[in-house]
Amino acid sequence: MLSCKKAASLIDKKVEVKLSWKENIQLTMHKSMCNACTAYEKQTKLIDKILYTHIHSDSETNIPVIKNKELQKQIITKL
Amino acid sequence: MDTTNANATIKCWVELYSDQLYTWAYYKISDRETAEDLVQEVFLAAVHSFKNFEGKSDPKTWLLSILKNKIADHFRKVYRTNANNTVSFNQFFGSNEDWISDQRPQQWKEDEEQHLLDNPDFKKTLTHCLEKLPANWKASIVLKFIEEKDSNEICQELQIAPTNYWQILHRSKLQLRKCLELNWFKK
Repeated sequence: MLSCKKAASLIDKKVEVKLSWKENIQLTMHKSMCNACTAYEKQTKLIDKILYTHIHSDSETNIPVIKNKELQKQIITKL
Repeated sequence: MDTTNANATIKCWVELYSDQLYTWAYYKISDRETAEDLVQEVFLAAVHSFKNFEGKSDPKTWLLSILKNKIADHFRKVYRTNANNTVSFNQFFGSNEDWISDQRPQQWKEDEEQHLLDNPDFKKTLTHCLEKLPANWKASIVLKFIEEKDSNEICQELQIAPTNYWQILHRSKLQLRKCLELNWFKK
């Protein structure tokens, strides 16, 4: 039986690297008996989606634009 | 197009887009000065490569793609100049390799992810939690998401072994998860 430490690490490893057949089975078995690791998987996937949108997204739709007049002036003089 | 023309157009873009670019950079970097420097570099780079632009895309999209590259460069530098912290999991798992009780994931209240990111307060919490990561870990996270590269490519750029790389991501996500749980999902 896999420990929680190992199971949680496989959950995040799976996103980056293909797991072996054995690792996959061990992980599935562990999750079927462990609420904490099942919750961990759900949450780490949500965090991935959140990070992707936070870091990658082209528009900050509802985020107020920070005005920086000083910077604007500074760039224009340098051009 | 001659240079006077390029200069005039770009000056106009500074007025139109610099605040948006600055806001975008600031939310990724959380450092005022660095964000300002990068935005300034974007416009200087735009003057130099103005002939590549040729009005093919929307100016904002073009400037944003230059900014993304600058931010990625910045985080590659951060990753390389920060000493390697040892990746330890003792804070999360006991000697029996079970979750330490206050680290054990709790059920979170359900929230639509888009809804979450439209919420400026959540965005603040997320930025705060990212800031608490060691600089080189945060750099690996940003690099993973800002450029759509696969992990092999990122490992090569950073000269890091793949196992090390996903261990860093795993360790960072354990910490982020706990931080978000404490400061958002449990409230």
